[in-house]
Amino acid sequence: MDYIDPHIHMVSRTTDDYETLARMGCVAMSEPAFWAGFDRGSVESFRDYFRQLTQFEPKRAAQFGIQHYTWLCINAKEAENVSLSREVIAMIPEFLNESNVLGIGEIGLNKNTKNESTIFLEHVDLAVRYNQQILIHTPHLEDKFQGTKMIVDMLVHDTRVDRSRVLVDHVEEHTIQEVLDQGFWAGMTLYPVTKCTPARAADMIERFGPERLMANSAGDWGPSKPTAIPDLIMELKRRGHSRELIRRVVYENPCKFFSQSKNFKAPLGSS
Amino acid sequence: MSNDPKPASRSAQKVLSEEFFLSRSKILDLAATLDRLDRAEGSVDELQQRQLLIQGIEILLDKNPDKAKRVQLLMSRPYDPDWRKNYGLH
Ligand SMILES: [Zn+2]
Repeated sequence: MDYIDPHIHMVSRTTDDYETLARMGCVAMSEPAFWAGFDRGSVESFRDYFRQLTQFEPKRAAQFGIQHYTWLCINAKEAENVSLSREVIAMIPEFLNESNVLGIGEIGLNKNTKNESTIFLEHVDLAVRYNQQILIHTPHLEDKFQGTKMIVDMLVHDTRVDRSRVLVDHVEEHTIQEVLDQGFWAGMTLYPVTKCTPARAADMIERFGPERLMANSAGDWGPSKPTAIPDLIMELKRRGHSRELIRRVVYENPCKFFSQSKNFKAPLGSS
Repeated sequence: MSNDPKPASRSAQKVLSEEFFLSRSKILDLAATLDRLDRAEGSVDELQQRQLLIQGIEILLDKNPDKAKRVQLLMSRPYDPDWRKNYGLH
């Protein structure tokens, strides 16, 4: 089945992975800017990273017929360094006209600190000023509940934010309801061990229905599986769900959300 | 909204028969982990992580719904609605 992975870190994957994803039905993907596993030392390092995301990765993906889109920011982990973060935020507009940029992301919180919150708000302001969509990273493990509530609080507080243009990722059983109730889109991140399994994601689809809900693989340099969405498709099929429902979650929803960005072109033509 | 494709539903009997072996293996994994902990030197009974595991297991055994959500909340730091004020943010 053709699908879109709305959150996958291809800079940490091999070209063979692109080929595997194409064979499994991946027709488009979006790659938010994230942490590289180490803290970068200067704004120049981010400028090179953004060139990689906007120029190199789309070419690598195109070799296999996959559309590659991206989101730009300094991630929550490095946002602890406020002065570097401000330099990066000031530089981001240089890249906003690149043809594969969908918006600002993945911004969010990591340990829910004051510095992270400050930089989060400055990113939101940047997105609003440049009319960009927003992709949100919510913290992991014991920090997720608190951090997700803080993020929702900040977004709801800023009346300029159009909630239908914000995707809140890594939702789990204790955060999904509030995100959807507040009018945001929600993404479930499928991780083999520490986060959400395909079975639990299928449970959330059964409980909350497909509206404004999508799934992604994260596919980063940690233990993760870039082919997690096909695993979810299998799980949903095994449970007897209709092709229509599955396609809604793994293809039509990402298309509908991304289409609010002028750069997005539906990979299979408009439906 | 009304024309959203609806999730299919499975009978309880079907869910049980399809999920039984996986659940059995997960219970065994947990049982073996607790055995391993018992065999190891020293005591962790007072540690918060150990208590969280016990409290999590208690949620599995009670009669109330929303077990996954309640286990998640058990393992979560609390949210303070006054956090902005505490951080001096507006
Ligand atoms: Zn990510």
